[in-house]
Amino acid sequence: MNLHGFVLLSSLLFCMGIYAVLARRNLIGMLIGVELMLNAASLSFMAFNRFTAPDPVIGQVVVLFVIGLAAAEAAIALSIILAVYRSRRSIDVEDVTELVG
Amino acid sequence: MSIALASFVVLTIAGALLSVTLRNILHAIFGLGVSLLGVAGMFLYLGSPFLAAMEVLIYVGGISVAMVFAVMLSQALGTRDIPHEPGRMVAAAIPSFGLFGVLAWIIHGATFPGSPNREPAAWSPAAMGHALLTDFNLVFETLSIVLLLAIAGAILIAKREERT
Repeated sequence: MNLHGFVLLSSLLFCMGIYAVLARRNLIGMLIGVELMLNAASLSFMAFNRFTAPDPVIGQVVVLFVIGLAAAEAAIALSIILAVYRSRRSIDVEDVTELVG
Repeated sequence: MSIALASFVVLTIAGALLSVTLRNILHAIFGLGVSLLGVAGMFLYLGSPFLAAMEVLIYVGGISVAMVFAVMLSQALGTRDIPHEPGRMVAAAIPSFGLFGVLAWIIHGATFPGSPNREPAAWSPAAMGHALLTDFNLVFETLSIVLLLAIAGAILIAKREERT
């Protein structure tokens, strides 16, 4: 499998993530889509790191950074989802409309 | 393409498909875990066992389990039946698959020049740890502060609503 295959797989994962964010009405379903997109980016970085980069450390550091940020993002997002659920007994995105102008 | 790599690719795509299509959110989270395992296998193939281990530890063992706990702690979160609207799914499928078509077309015609470095010493976890504490020290410190603030913020947000 060459670089083209990996980049194609990564873009497929990214587009599935976009689909999940757009199609889901469940907040956790949207969070799953975001995680898929972050993973697609990591996979792309690792593939380019393997096949084109003169210094393989840089791509690995970037992927480690993405994984760490994803952990932080998931913690914040889950706590916000729990808070939303507690206050309105629902995690349907159509119900959360306080910030609609 | 070896059998191991092919199975990782299948695992990644099948898991992602399950995680975006299944209606029960708990099943979707398990699909996400399967997909992340496949991605970790591909990191292994791409020469970084350390990042593959981190992927399994943090994503499969951390984030997926945290999601499962969030669903289970608030019973109706995942099982409450939010109706699927076909119109919404079609409206989401058109831009996402359109984007994939455009990306695939671009990737098909692209050439990626470069000089890969396959020296085992450059790929070792020791080289990465050394870089993290010297050239990329700012990344390391930023990540630690961001994680600390995120954990503190998560506790604060999840707790404040409980009192009121």
